[in-house]
Amino acid sequence: MSGSVATVERELSIGLMGQPNTGKSTLFNALTGSRQHVGNWPGKTVEKKEGRFSQGRHSYRLVDLPGTYSLSANSEEEVITRQHIAGEDIHVVAALVDASQLERSLFLLADYAGINRPVVVLLNMVDVAKDQGKSIDAAALSARLGVPVFPVVASRKQGLEPLYDLLDTADFSDCALSDSPLAGEYRKGFGEVFEKLEDILAKMDFGAYTSAWVAVKLLEGDGEALALVKSKAAEVDLRKIESLLDGIKDGMLTSADCKFRWIESLVKAAAYITGKKAGLGRFDRMATSPVLGKLLALGFILGGLALSMVIGFSLMGVVGAVQEPLIGGVRTLLISINTAPFLISIVCDAVLTSVFFALMMAAFVFSTVLVFGFMEEVGYMARISYVFDNLMQKLGLHGKAIMPFLVSFGCNMGGITGTRVIDSWKQRLLAIATSWVIPCAGTWGVIGMMGSLFFGANAVWVVLSLFLAAGLHMILTAKVFGRKLVSPEDKNGLIMELPPYHKPNWKSLLRFVWLRTKDMLTRAMRIVVLITVAFWLLSWSPDGLLSSSIIYKVGTAIEPFTMIFGLNWQLFMAFIVAAMGKEAALGAIAALFAAPDAAANLFSMAFGGGAVGANAGVALLSALTVPQALAFMFAFFFNIPCFMAVACTATETHSAKWTLKIVGYYVGVALLISGVVYHISSLLF
Amino acid sequence: MSISQTKEGQVCRVKGLNGDNRFLSRITSVGLTPGSRVEIIRNKGKYPLLVFARDTMLAINRKEAGNIFVEVIA
Repeated sequence: MSGSVATVERELSIGLMGQPNTGKSTLFNALTGSRQHVGNWPGKTVEKKEGRFSQGRHSYRLVDLPGTYSLSANSEEEVITRQHIAGEDIHVVAALVDASQLERSLFLLADYAGINRPVVVLLNMVDVAKDQGKSIDAAALSARLGVPVFPVVASRKQGLEPLYDLLDTADFSDCALSDSPLAGEYRKGFGEVFEKLEDILAKMDFGAYTSAWVAVKLLEGDGEALALVKSKAAEVDLRKIESLLDGIKDGMLTSADCKFRWIESLVKAAAYITGKKAGLGRFDRMATSPVLGKLLALGFILGGLALSMVIGFSLMGVVGAVQEPLIGGVRTLLISINTAPFLISIVCDAVLTSVFFALMMAAFVFSTVLVFGFMEEVGYMARISYVFDNLMQKLGLHGKAIMPFLVSFGCNMGGITGTRVIDSWKQRLLAIATSWVIPCAGTWGVIGMMGSLFFGANAVWVVLSLFLAAGLHMILTAKVFGRKLVSPEDKNGLIMELPPYHKPNWKSLLRFVWLRTKDMLTRAMRIVVLITVAFWLLSWSPDGLLSSSIIYKVGTAIEPFTMIFGLNWQLFMAFIVAAMGKEAALGAIAALFAAPDAAANLFSMAFGGGAVGANAGVALLSALTVPQALAFMFAFFFNIPCFMAVACTATETHSAKWTLKIVGYYVGVALLISGVVYHISSLLF
Repeated sequence: MSISQTKEGQVCRVKGLNGDNRFLSRITSVGLTPGSRVEIIRNKGKYPLLVFARDTMLAINRKEAGNIFVEVIA
């Protein structure tokens, strides 16, 4: 398909390829805006982003290939990238190269040479390179490579016109990256082994891969390439190949050396001047120092959390100010047209209330993503990862996971959305699963009140044991999910790039934040409204008495089972209600412990807010034993954060399967812990 | 000597790399190949090393650093 002219009617697919930190996502978001779909590659644990954009007369499909440093077969990301480049699915590849780190970021392109698919080089961040005193002759580089090279600033969508023009013609005959100069280097580096291999392989057809490309992959010890050759080669040839490869040691090193020799010749031709200043700036010296760097990171994260709370609460205030008049207005309107009270209550108390709840939470998520997205954008997040890597590695987690963990103390949704700063989908899922243990601000409110009610000053011991259990829970959870998600060979020690600091681009940052929030909100809204309405129906009764609601009937029926965990039917229902929002637990308990024949609607007491505190206290003290109270506190503390957080998890992981696994795990562990606590404390109190 | 035995501020040349294919692929793809020039930026205690090579600041774990062999050139 190389050099072919796509018909105008056909929608072109463009693959976006680049090493991490070359601005790939920025360009992807800038081009596709909200016309994007995020999922996983079929059957893979790697995220797939696809989107569309229109330019001139045409619409294009843009596929964001996973960010990788090379195209070896050592990770899922690399295999996906190279298979899709070589496949029929993508018509042209746009290869992003960082102009400020030209030499290193050309390595991926060197690995591309030998895959016969049209490619265009986008020389990104030319503005940063210029600031660092580096200049690149794009025309000379293009002449050397034999493919178009366009200098661009992805975050500002600058310099993309030549790319649009090229796409418009759909003629990619000038985009064939030749592998012959590089093959020359391989011949020099490997000697006659390479030539012999190439000769044998030349007889076979490897689709988009040239024989030189396959030959060097064999020399690098690439398992996938060997399997490919085995499927094509005759027995005689295969034996020859195997005997040629037998004497090869450190093929990977020789190959990399050849690639960089080729790159060095390119860089020279492009009159690239390497930056003079190595070393760390004054800020970076602090940011990367073991002790000071950690304190600085904690300061920035906690400061960022405080800032996002301020922004979040102001936005919440705006939403809240609209809420009451709006719901009141709707209620008046519905009454005026003689709607059945049942329907009015469902619309106003359940649907609208939950919509506003979701909106308020989205305000917090919006501000968290903004503050921490900023830290990622300027490049500081990599420093946080660096200073915390040793500690987090002990849990098998990514260094960057420290940020979502701390944010979760404010709100788990912020933490879950915050895991976006972790590139690897598997590591992100692991961080999310572990972050669920962390109690949010709402949890502490309830624990504090119940603790002081039952244990007075001794509540300190309860809180300490909760902390201890939480610590063990986190270690266990990281192990359980880590074993499933991260295979031993994935556990490569840290080799990480600390990207240079960038000036933030507000437009691209806000675009990113808006996309995230909208994504999360639409999904969370559906789930929360659905669950709230279901719960409203279950707690509704025609005579207004709790004892005639479905919840009462189900709850009392399964009480023999829930008592295994030390939870009588009221506590078990409160445990479930609290999953709709931790703050709702106290109101729910108050409603549930009211006399069964009193007119008490569980729903409105849990979510209507108001003065429940004192009454709840009295009802609680008389109705509960100490072991029961303890069992509930532990069950409540370790239950899933809330359904909004579950919705966030589904959005971030785009895996219903994994989300349900995590939910099942947490509910199971919470009940197990409460059962253990109940039975042990029954012996003591 | 291994790169973890160097001192901050030294400039080295990579002499050799040891390890499995996965490690070699990763370390070479970020720019550390035999013969390349590396500046030691930070090398303290148990913490990962910070080195500067091919315009790139790299953090490398101590265990992995033990498999990178260098000679000091300045």
